Amino acid sequence: MKGLFIFFSILIFIGPAVADVPVRQEQLIYSIKAFNGKDYSDTFCGENSDTIYLIADQDNFITARKTLVYYWPITGDWKTDTSALNYPFEGTLELTAKGGESRIISPERYTYYNVQGEYELNWEVATGDEAEKAWQHYLGLIDQYRQATSEYQQAKMTFDLMMNELTKMITEMRNAGTDVTELVEKLKTLRSPEPPKPPDDYIVPPSPVQNAFILSLPRGEYNIRFINEDDAVMEGSEKRVVVFEKRRADGIGFEVIPGDKWTRPVESKSPSSVLYVDGTTNLYLRPFFQDEFNDLYYQKMIKNDAKGNPSLMNWVRIQQVPGSRIELTGNSHASEVILEEFFYVEQTKGSALGYKIVPFDPEGAHKGRDPSLIAFKVTVNRERSLIWFKLLDKSGLNMTGSSRQVRVIIKSRWQPVLLLLCLLPLLAMAVVRMIRSRKYSL
Amino acid sequence: MSFRLHAASVIAKRRIFESCLSPGFYIAQAAGLLLSYFLISGFVSSIDSSGFNYMLHPLYELIGRSLAGAFGITFLEKLFAEGPFQFVLYISFVPVFLYLSFSTVFRFGLEKKVGAIELLAYGPVDGTSYFLAFYIKDVVLTILYLLLLVLFLSAAALLNNLVLGPAFLYALVVMFFMTLLLYTISILASVLTDSGASAMALYIGIILLFLIVMMGSFTIASGYVRSFSSVLSWVINWVSPFFYWGLALSFIEAGNILYYLLILLVMATLSSLFLFLSHLVIKIKGVRP
Repeated sequence: MKGLFIFFSILIFIGPAVADVPVRQEQLIYSIKAFNGKDYSDTFCGENSDTIYLIADQDNFITARKTLVYYWPITGDWKTDTSALNYPFEGTLELTAKGGESRIISPERYTYYNVQGEYELNWEVATGDEAEKAWQHYLGLIDQYRQATSEYQQAKMTFDLMMNELTKMITEMRNAGTDVTELVEKLKTLRSPEPPKPPDDYIVPPSPVQNAFILSLPRGEYNIRFINEDDAVMEGSEKRVVVFEKRRADGIGFEVIPGDKWTRPVESKSPSSVLYVDGTTNLYLRPFFQDEFNDLYYQKMIKNDAKGNPSLMNWVRIQQVPGSRIELTGNSHASEVILEEFFYVEQTKGSALGYKIVPFDPEGAHKGRDPSLIAFKVTVNRERSLIWFKLLDKSGLNMTGSSRQVRVIIKSRWQPVLLLLCLLPLLAMAVVRMIRSRKYSL
Repeated sequence: MSFRLHAASVIAKRRIFESCLSPGFYIAQAAGLLLSYFLISGFVSSIDSSGFNYMLHPLYELIGRSLAGAFGITFLEKLFAEGPFQFVLYISFVPVFLYLSFSTVFRFGLEKKVGAIELLAYGPVDGTSYFLAFYIKDVVLTILYLLLLVLFLSAAALLNNLVLGPAFLYALVVMFFMTLLLYTISILASVLTDSGASAMALYIGIILLFLIVMMGSFTIASGYVRSFSSVLSWVINWVSPFFYWGLALSFIEAGNILYYLLILLVMATLSSLFLFLSHLVIKIKGVRP
């Protein structure tokens, strides 16, 4: 009996610990690096999934590999454990369009990177020797930067030494009562060396050159299967590929940051949407370009085991709108154009938690720091109950689909009247029944 | 034809008068308006400095969690993007719609079973004019209630600084056309069966089937469920009022007015087709139970 008690006690304590270790399964997976309209998303298509989702006419990179797959219940995700097993297969990919012919795709060396430009997104993909060149070019830039940094450190050290020596000499000579004018003049002419700037050619530097099947396909449905070096189809490698495109492009959305919750911004995506607020704080707006995709397809492209709504289209934030302005109009207010400003988020002083967004002061209180926020400030208060705004481009033209309205909700004291209105039909019923009963009563 | 229309209009007037005397219609209206009142005041209480946050109000927390869980957060965002009124419109219409369609189905079936329609058919009334009268009554009372509802919602919007939203009018019109189609299905269910209970069972069954298929297509899914539901819904959707309703709203969202109008036309055509089918059925089966 005692033994049984000890056994169950051990089981109770050990049980949860054992249950926390997810079971890892060895699986053939397709590792996918899919272009999502603004960046590359890494996901994988395991044995549980039969479909891969990709955006049309964009370079996407796929590899077949054997790895360990497990379910992580805390986040509800399927994950791979590549540290224990990560074996990429050599072979080719057979791609068959729905009702079309098959073609064989061979793996290619590739790299991808995002270069600087007017807009945030200027993604480029280099393949084959070009990929190697792009990678080497980037390594060259890094080497140059390292060299310049090393030279700078050397020069800085020399400068610091000279400064120390001169200062020491001046102090000693001054103590001895000797004239130090010449040395002070020399000290004044000394200039600290400038630190080198890191290479700014790239927003996202090239990735190391890798091997993958590059799929850039027109919209449609396809089937793929992996053929290994022995010309045999790998078991479990047959998958469907759904290639989809955006329904609408270059819509205008707004990231709306309330002054009291700057870490919890909301997005206004639909052009007909209305932003209802309680008017207790100002709003900070950041406009962005957005594209519209099928919700399910897009979610599954980002993460193959995700869920989505197959019947809905969803606007997806792509990149910020450069050089724009916002025109505000409202009830009892003349129209006003506001520009993007720099702001800094300051912790509120005292024991109470919180912060406030203040204008960025690079010469004063915020010297040597970066602004926390670059946005359009829209002043909202309870006296200003309706604000219309729209985005203007660099040349001052209205950007289509950028109009929105902000309404400040003030709970009316006439609410009970509304409640009484709801009961009007019952009042009408009572009147009708009273009239009827009088009419037919003796 | 003109005698049939005349008979239908005379009976319809009588039916409308009866509905105005019975308490059911008033109670359904009051229930609809009360629902809209609570939904609007709940929405107003769910607004904070960053906009609509359904976690702030217990009623909306329940609604928000249920809708987001079943249909995804995108669905929820779209539903409340312009404010509460689209959602309020649909919910507030349910009591009156259920009252009108169920009372039509049940009463038609009952009167058929007890031989009241047969008795009238010996006079200047035939089965077609009789069900047309029910249809006219439902349409007229629906218009009356929708007018009242729009007035109420406009007053609520004005008091709370809300706006009905650009899509509200489109949603209202498409909901009206969808209701016309649902009423014709209720009539078809009535003429196909021999008693009130069986007509009611058939009608509820059809509506539930359409609803399940529509909700299936809107439910968040991953691969397999979607392919299964799309095959099933492909077959049923062609006659489902809810499918055309969703389609019309998606066209409005995409700014495609022409296709929206086309869907309204399809719904009107389908309504006529169901009425014609009912006419054929009653002509072949007769008005005897």
